[in-house]
Amino acid sequence: MIVGRQQSSLNTGHPYPRGGEPNRAASLADARADSVCATWQGLQFLRSLERAFVLHRSLKTQITTKVVALSAAAAILLGAALVTLIVAVTGQRDAARVAFRSQQALSLANQLEKSLLSIESGLNRYVTTRESRYLGTVTRELAGYPAATRRLVRLVSDDPGQQARVAALSEAIRDYDEFWVKSLIEIVSEDGFEVARSQVETNGGRARLDRVRTQFESLFDRERAVIRAREDAAERGSARAIGLGIGGLALVSTIALGFTLYLRRSVLRPVRTVAEATGRLAAGDLSTRVPAEREDELGELARGFNSMADSLERGREQLEHSNAELTRSNAELEQFASVTSHDLQAPLTTISMYAELLERRRGEPRPGDSDLVDGIRGATQQARALIRDLLEYSRAGRGHLSVEEVPAGQVVDQALEALAGAIEESGAQIVVGELPVVRADRANLCRVFQNLVGNAVKFTGEDTPHVSIDAERDNGQWRFSVSDNGIGMKPDHARRIFEPFQRLHGEEDYPGTGIGLAVCERIVDQLGGRIWVSSSPGQGSVFSFTLPAASPADAEPARVGASA
Amino acid sequence: MRHATPRILALLATLALALAAGACGGSDDEGPSPAKPPATATGPPIRIGAKNFTEQTILGELYRQALEAEGFEVVLKTDVGSTEIIHRALKRGALDMYPEYVGVLLSEVAEVRLRPRRPAAAYEVAKRYEKRGGFTLLAQTPFSDSNALGVMPAFARRHGLRTIADLRRLKGTVKIGALAEFRTRFEGLDGLREVYGLRNLRVSSLASGERYAALQQGDVDVASVFTTEGQLAGEDYVVLKDPRGLFASGHVAPIISDRMLAIHGARLQTAIDAVSKMLTTGAMREMNAAVDLRSRRPADVAREFLQANKLL
Repeated sequence: MIVGRQQSSLNTGHPYPRGGEPNRAASLADARADSVCATWQGLQFLRSLERAFVLHRSLKTQITTKVVALSAAAAILLGAALVTLIVAVTGQRDAARVAFRSQQALSLANQLEKSLLSIESGLNRYVTTRESRYLGTVTRELAGYPAATRRLVRLVSDDPGQQARVAALSEAIRDYDEFWVKSLIEIVSEDGFEVARSQVETNGGRARLDRVRTQFESLFDRERAVIRAREDAAERGSARAIGLGIGGLALVSTIALGFTLYLRRSVLRPVRTVAEATGRLAAGDLSTRVPAEREDELGELARGFNSMADSLERGREQLEHSNAELTRSNAELEQFASVTSHDLQAPLTTISMYAELLERRRGEPRPGDSDLVDGIRGATQQARALIRDLLEYSRAGRGHLSVEEVPAGQVVDQALEALAGAIEESGAQIVVGELPVVRADRANLCRVFQNLVGNAVKFTGEDTPHVSIDAERDNGQWRFSVSDNGIGMKPDHARRIFEPFQRLHGEEDYPGTGIGLAVCERIVDQLGGRIWVSSSPGQGSVFSFTLPAASPADAEPARVGASA
Repeated sequence: MRHATPRILALLATLALALAAGACGGSDDEGPSPAKPPATATGPPIRIGAKNFTEQTILGELYRQALEAEGFEVVLKTDVGSTEIIHRALKRGALDMYPEYVGVLLSEVAEVRLRPRRPAAAYEVAKRYEKRGGFTLLAQTPFSDSNALGVMPAFARRHGLRTIADLRRLKGTVKIGALAEFRTRFEGLDGLREVYGLRNLRVSSLASGERYAALQQGDVDVASVFTTEGQLAGEDYVVLKDPRGLFASGHVAPIISDRMLAIHGARLQTAIDAVSKMLTTGAMREMNAAVDLRSRRPADVAREFLQANKLL
């Protein structure tokens, strides 16, 4: 941007063109500005897209609607399957509980029946054998049955039919006890065993017991039927649940599969298309477009992408157009500068020559003539110096650069040799540190060192000038520094001094045209580095610039001796 | 949801119906349906017993239906057993009432061997006996169902049998088909030995319904019969005469506990007596025949009789 501002000030402030380089910089700046502009437009578009998403979600969210609907359907199906499963499991559990109770009831009824049979046989044996131990069995068994029937009633409490059966059974057992067992025992004690035996022979007890057992059978049948019915129901329920579960799972899987296919076909593929197009766009193919017929979010995305690509393409066309303009303009300006500076040399030389001839031909010079001639000569020389420097600046770092691996130490020695007169005159102490091999154009690099060291020995204060040249590794590049103990400058001026023909001091204090540092910046810029200064008045200055390292491995700089 | 609700309701209704049907199905195959609610029932139900043969079952049904018609709550226990069994159940309080034969009551329960020949006198003796035990002998029936011995007419002719005493002339063992208690009763083997001096008898225990068949098939020579039995209505069997009066008159009198009479008062006795006095020998034999020979249900036979006599 700084370069851009400089360009604009040059264009407006000065009527003459000043060579190609600033214009080229300006064209680069324009290109950057255009690409920034395009990026910004893209961002703006993305934001509007986002707003569209938020504001018109209900109108333009076909994919979202589909996704939500499919997810809801899957969730409902899964929920239904789960509910069915829970119902089935509950049914199984209930069936198991009922079956357990039924089994208990069956077992208890069985026990009761056996107990009755042992009462009957005990009674018969008692009457037949007259052994009282059989009576003990009878009375013991008799004592147990009321509690057993009560338990049986409790066990079948969930089945009214069975309750009625157990009630009838209880009554039959009670009748058997009251009418048969007790009476028979009384007969034995009152009328003797003979009478009792005749009663046993009537089979009254056995007949009664058979009726009781019939009732038991009915109870068993019913209880078994209950168990079977419950088991069947539970089995049907579980089969249904398994069927529903499998069906539900299949349905959910189908939905998931369809969903995946839908996503692949309708979402992922278009997104991939856009991504690939973005890659082509990034690679520079600005004519890339994607199909944008869809009416949903992806359609929006595609349209957004196409619009962005349009915008970028337009930007590049404009850029190419202005670039061509600038190139043409630059060539004209260069030619103009070259012609101007070259053609100006000739009349100036002529003016200078005529001034000398005039001086020589006059026999008797009048006082003041010599001063006038000196004035003409001085102005002419100054104009020539300006033209020379202008020519140098316009050529600096331009044309064919022979970039190669250059030992910086050798280049510095060469520069110091060229400056030998100035150094000697100022009595400066020059200290050269260890300098590396760098990739640069030898002549141009020499010019940079020459300018910087020249400035260091020129802008000196009252002390003996000390100049040190060092290099430091800074990531993939070398940072060179030229430090002095000269007059320094205000930090505000640190930027201005790199502009062409900018001077901080009058010509009479420190001679020069103010083009040296501008040339340095241009060269360093061409070699892929940058240059800056840190300084304050009276504290000396440190001019630093960076250059790419010759190779990443050359950590150790080549040792070069110091010279004075 | 608005559409689903009626369907759920319908489902629930179906479920409820199914459950109700299941419950009904469960009760369909129950025993006897509960007695109709008595009009003036108070106090505990009257437990009526009946002995283990047809006539007793019919008698039990007659008293049950008549009493229920009068509003009493009745539980009828049929086929309880012989006198030895059922009278003990009555005494023990397991029953409140049962119809008993006065003669059997005297000989087998009161153990009165020298029984009055006149039925009215015998009844009085029996009544006094029961009173001592806390029971009342209600009015006896006009019909008399005595024990007797029956033979096939051919057998009687062959051996010239007319009375029980004639059995003594038979050579070898005489097989008597009878209920098991016959062997130990006075009005049974004991009395036949004691009164008629019969030593050549052997009792074959049979169920009540097996006796006539056994007689016809020749399994037994003689059968113990009851004089009101329907089989005896024709000329199919010969009843041997009892000149020495071993088998006492067989009028039936219901024995009821004084406690039950006290609870229900004179109305109960009136209702029972009303039935008893209608039971003539002809009526009883007809009803027995209907059940034993025509396979009618005792309850139906009893109902028809009561209806015919305006007792229902």
